[in-house]
Amino acid sequence: MGYFKEFFSGIYNLLLGLKTTAKYLPERAVTLQYPKEKWPMPERSRGIVVLLSDPDTGELNCTACLLCQKACPVAAITITQAKNETTNKRYPKTFEVNNTICCFCGLCEEACNFDAIKLTGLYEFATFDKESLIFQKEKLQELGRNVKYEKKRKSVAKKPAAKSETTETKPQSAAPSDPPKGEEA
Amino acid sequence: MTDVTKNIQLSEEEFLLNMGPQHPSTHGVLRLVLKLRGEFIEDLTPHVGYLHRSIEKIAENRTYAQFMPFTDRIDYCASMPCNLAWALAVEKLAGIEVPPRAQYLRVLMTELNRIASHLIYLGVMSLDLGAFTPFLYTFREREWILDLFEMTCGQRLTYNYMRIGGVSRDLPPEFYQSCKNFTKVFLKKVDEYEALFTYNPIFLTRTKDIGILPIAVGLEYGASGPTIRGSGHNWDLRKVEPYSSYEKFDFNVPLGTKGDVWDRYMVRVQEMRESCKIINQALDGLPEGEIKAKVPGVFKPPAGEVISRIEAPRGEMGYYLVSDGSTKPYRVKIRTASYGNLQVLRYLSRGWKIADLVAIFGSLDVVLPEVDR
Repeated sequence: MGYFKEFFSGIYNLLLGLKTTAKYLPERAVTLQYPKEKWPMPERSRGIVVLLSDPDTGELNCTACLLCQKACPVAAITITQAKNETTNKRYPKTFEVNNTICCFCGLCEEACNFDAIKLTGLYEFATFDKESLIFQKEKLQELGRNVKYEKKRKSVAKKPAAKSETTETKPQSAAPSDPPKGEEA
Repeated sequence: MTDVTKNIQLSEEEFLLNMGPQHPSTHGVLRLVLKLRGEFIEDLTPHVGYLHRSIEKIAENRTYAQFMPFTDRIDYCASMPCNLAWALAVEKLAGIEVPPRAQYLRVLMTELNRIASHLIYLGVMSLDLGAFTPFLYTFREREWILDLFEMTCGQRLTYNYMRIGGVSRDLPPEFYQSCKNFTKVFLKKVDEYEALFTYNPIFLTRTKDIGILPIAVGLEYGASGPTIRGSGHNWDLRKVEPYSSYEKFDFNVPLGTKGDVWDRYMVRVQEMRESCKIINQALDGLPEGEIKAKVPGVFKPPAGEVISRIEAPRGEMGYYLVSDGSTKPYRVKIRTASYGNLQVLRYLSRGWKIADLVAIFGSLDVVLPEVDR
């Protein structure tokens, strides 16, 4: 008889355990099938650095002021300045971000007054080649094409003014910063 | 045959054993040279320096603002307090007044980080003692805190949230509700941990009366934080020397009685509850206003020297900062709690077995990158 008693108590305990399983069965799984599904990244997420373009003209917002290069604590950003002779506007001739040493601190984004550089929620950049982690201007611009951004408080005050200046009184806005530009270019 | 039996003969000799540098219970890269008699520890020498990254020297080549991301890497389990201590040091040097909202945000983030750090302690300590499940429980709650941090500053580990004169960003709109929910749920979870641990016979056998630290010895070695409070020494910089408007918050400093492993565990569990209290107060009383004081772009503090110290989750943490009036610091000395706490290990583990050493070392909650900098 003891055998049957054990048998039934075994089944009872099995069902008891399965009750917990059944309780959690209809719930949504916590895990994600990673490469197919992804977590939505928060808006402020600090992933890879991209260069932002003006949605209307498609041109880079960057004016090659070198503030991000100076702010970078690990010297991951290298910029060469150049000047557009026709519009008298500065632009980055080369813009290089070395992702092998970038520490994703976001100081470059903070230093920028022109909404030109941003850390995004993009994070899948594993490669077999270290060289390919050094991103050039074209790649950074391509990555930043579809990145939405809201204009910063600083630039909201500054940017429309800068825009109107570029259309109306261009030389004035460019004049004070001419000497360093001339040296570099 | 005779030779073999000769070798097997038990002897009473002392022998040296290397524990680490790569040992799962040394929480990183610590090498302990143990002098053993059988299973019992006669003496012990910790060898540190495997994770030395010369952060102090790096500081001399960076501007004051640029050094902030590096402070994240001092104690990766609790980056916010490291950020805060650096910001406080520079502000003290330059005489910058921090807006009240920023001060509250700093308190809020630091206390959230304290909980996250203690959760790591709890999980890893249980893992060291052979219990795997609590590790998953504590990391489940820690995940929530990390989500809150990611929501606010964009990173989960290296926050870089504080700035000289304030904080980098204000709270996102969904933060308040999520954080409130967290404190509500978390208090229940702490009860759950306590049900799992506090009077669990196995846990008690492994922790009670083991590694007793007298106050005098702890003070001599420079131990601080929960390590010394577990012995009953009432020393919490948040109360003794309030910074960042801690004097406006109502909380208790939990104290142990004996100073064994269990007391140190208990102090940390109570501290999590107290931190929850502070977080609720900070959320409710969050003043309106600016989040960052005006700091010039090229920041040049006056020449001089200054010391800042705060109560980090592991104990007293601070910076000694010498400025020569240029944009870069002349010298930075970092005082971290883990280094002082590690020194006590030698005293505590004498006479105990190797398995107890794991428990004692776990209870000190040492983070090795913080020891080496």
